[in-house]
Amino acid sequence: MSEPFRRTRSVCPICLEPAAAQLCRDDKTGAVFLQKACPTHGAFTVPVWRGRLDFEKWTAGAQRLGPEEGLRCPSNCGICAEHGRGTCCALLEVTKRCNLYCRYCFAHGGETDGEPSLQQLKQAVEDILRQCGTPLLQLSGGEPSLRDDLPELVAYARERGCPAVQLNTNGLRLAEEPEYVRRLARAGLTIVFLQFDGVTDEVYRTLRGRDLLETKLRAIENCGRERIGVTLVPTVVRGVNDGMLGDIIRLGASLSPAVRGVHFQPVSHFGRYPVTPQDDMRYTLDELMDDICRQTGLSADIFQPSCCDHPLCGFHVSALANPCCGDAQPVQTESCCCGDTQPTQTESCCCGDTQPAQTESCCCGDAQPTQTESCCCGDAQPTQAESCCGITPLPPAAPAPRKQQSPADENRNYVIRHWRRSLSPEEEAPPSLDASGAKDLDTFLRLLKTRSFTLTAMAFQDAWNLDIERLHSCSLHVYSEGKVKPFCANYLTAAQTES
Amino acid sequence: MEHLICAKCGVPLEKKKTAFQYLGYEIYEDLPRCPQCGQVYLDEQLVRGRMHEVEVEVEDK
Repeated sequence: MSEPFRRTRSVCPICLEPAAAQLCRDDKTGAVFLQKACPTHGAFTVPVWRGRLDFEKWTAGAQRLGPEEGLRCPSNCGICAEHGRGTCCALLEVTKRCNLYCRYCFAHGGETDGEPSLQQLKQAVEDILRQCGTPLLQLSGGEPSLRDDLPELVAYARERGCPAVQLNTNGLRLAEEPEYVRRLARAGLTIVFLQFDGVTDEVYRTLRGRDLLETKLRAIENCGRERIGVTLVPTVVRGVNDGMLGDIIRLGASLSPAVRGVHFQPVSHFGRYPVTPQDDMRYTLDELMDDICRQTGLSADIFQPSCCDHPLCGFHVSALANPCCGDAQPVQTESCCCGDTQPTQTESCCCGDTQPAQTESCCCGDAQPTQTESCCCGDAQPTQAESCCGITPLPPAAPAPRKQQSPADENRNYVIRHWRRSLSPEEEAPPSLDASGAKDLDTFLRLLKTRSFTLTAMAFQDAWNLDIERLHSCSLHVYSEGKVKPFCANYLTAAQTES
Repeated sequence: MEHLICAKCGVPLEKKKTAFQYLGYEIYEDLPRCPQCGQVYLDEQLVRGRMHEVEVEVEDK
C-alpha cells in the first residue's frame, strides 16, 4: 500500500465520532482505500476504487477540502456557510409507511407511525423554497404514493415555484391505479424515479421480497400514457444484479420515450441493510462504469463526472435511445441443458422478427461477436450475441467555458431537461426516425428531445466509506426538522449490532 | 429576403437548402445564400434560438 496521497475526514462506523482519514493506493492494482482509526473501536480500511479506471484522471476536477474546512462535518449538520454546494434537489419525506419491506432501504421505511399532515408538508415546501431557492423537489418516503393527497402536494409545490417535482417510488400503486397516475400528472408531477433493479423476477425476490417485474412494466406504461418521464433506478448489489446492467439499459432504451434514462445506485449500507458490509460486497463507481462497458460495448470515455457533486459521487452520460430497439422485450426463461431455468432475453428487432440467438448482426448495423460460455453442467453453451446496447452516446463535446449558473443550478437544469417528457404527442419524433442522416433543424430538435436517454449514477456514502471531501460537495439535500442536510449526512447510520 | 445583399458579390441572397455538419450529425435548413459565392446568412434569431437549443441538447452548453 502506498503512502497516503490525500488527507480527509470521516467517522467511526461504530460510534460515528469524527475520525481523521486518508486515501491510500495499491500501486499494483490502482485500487484506492479509505483508512481511518477510532481511539475506541480501532482501524478501518474500506475500498473506494478498484483500479478498473484511472482514479487520478476521474477525480481531477474534485473540489479539494482545505485544512480548516469541514472540521465540524457531519456532526451538527445542516447546510452551513462552509458547505461547497447549493441545493440541486431537495428531498422531502412525506411518509414512513411502505408497502414493501426491502432488504436495503436508506430510509428504513415500513414504520406505521403517524405521518405529517398535508398542511405540515405544504409548510415544509415553503421552508424548502425559503432555504434552497427553487430546487427540484423529490417526494420520498417510505413509499410516498401511499398518500392519497400526494397530487395536492405536487400541485402546491409547482404553484409555489418548484420547477419540477420528482416522485421516488417503488411503482406499486402507479401500476395498480392509472387514475392515481392521472391525478399526479394533472397536478404537475414531472419525473417518476422508479425503483427498478433488474429484468428478472428473481432480482426482485432477492432485493424486494416478491416478484415485481410485471408490476414495474405496468407502472412505466401508466406513466407513459400520462406523459410523466420515468427514470429507472437500480440499486446495484454485487452478485444480485451487477451482471444485468446492460439488460436494464437495453430494456429502458426500448421503452423510450416513456423511460428517460437509468440512474444506477451502487448499494450503500445505511438505514436498513442485511449484514455489516465486507470489502468484497462493496461495488465502487469504477466497477459500475467498467461493468456497464463490458455489458454494452460502450466505451469508458463516454462517462463524465458530475458537474456539481464530487466525482466519486456519480457520473452522467447523455445519449439517444436507438429507434431500432423499440420492440425489444425481456424476459423469457428457457431451460438449460442441465435442466436449470436460465434467464434470457428475447431478441426482438426493429423489423419485428424475433432473432435467433446466434445472430451476429446488431440492429444498429454493427457486427457483434458471438460468445460461448460455460454452463453449470460443464458444457460450453452458445450464448446470444450481445444485442445492440440500446443507446448511442452523444458525441463528446469540446470543453466549454464555465457557465454563468452555479453548479447546483446547472445540474438541476440538466436532469430536468433530460428526465421530463417535454414534447406533446404530436411534437415527438416518430419511433422510426433515425438520428443518422440529414434532417431539417426542427426534426433534429424533436428527435433530440424525444429520444434523450441518460445514464447516471449516484454512489451514496455510508459510515464506513464516508469522505467529508465528498460530503462537502453534496447538492442533494434532505429537509429534516426544519433544516436541509446533505443526503449522506442525514441518513448516516452507525453499524448495527448483529445478533 | 430582398433586403439581404451579399457583401462580397453585391447580389441578393436567395433562400436555399443549406446543409450543416455538427458533431457527426447532418442537419439542413432553408437559409439565405448568395447564388454566386455560396456565403450563408445566419440571423440572430436562428442562432440564439433553435441552433442554441441543439447545442444545449447535444453538448449541454
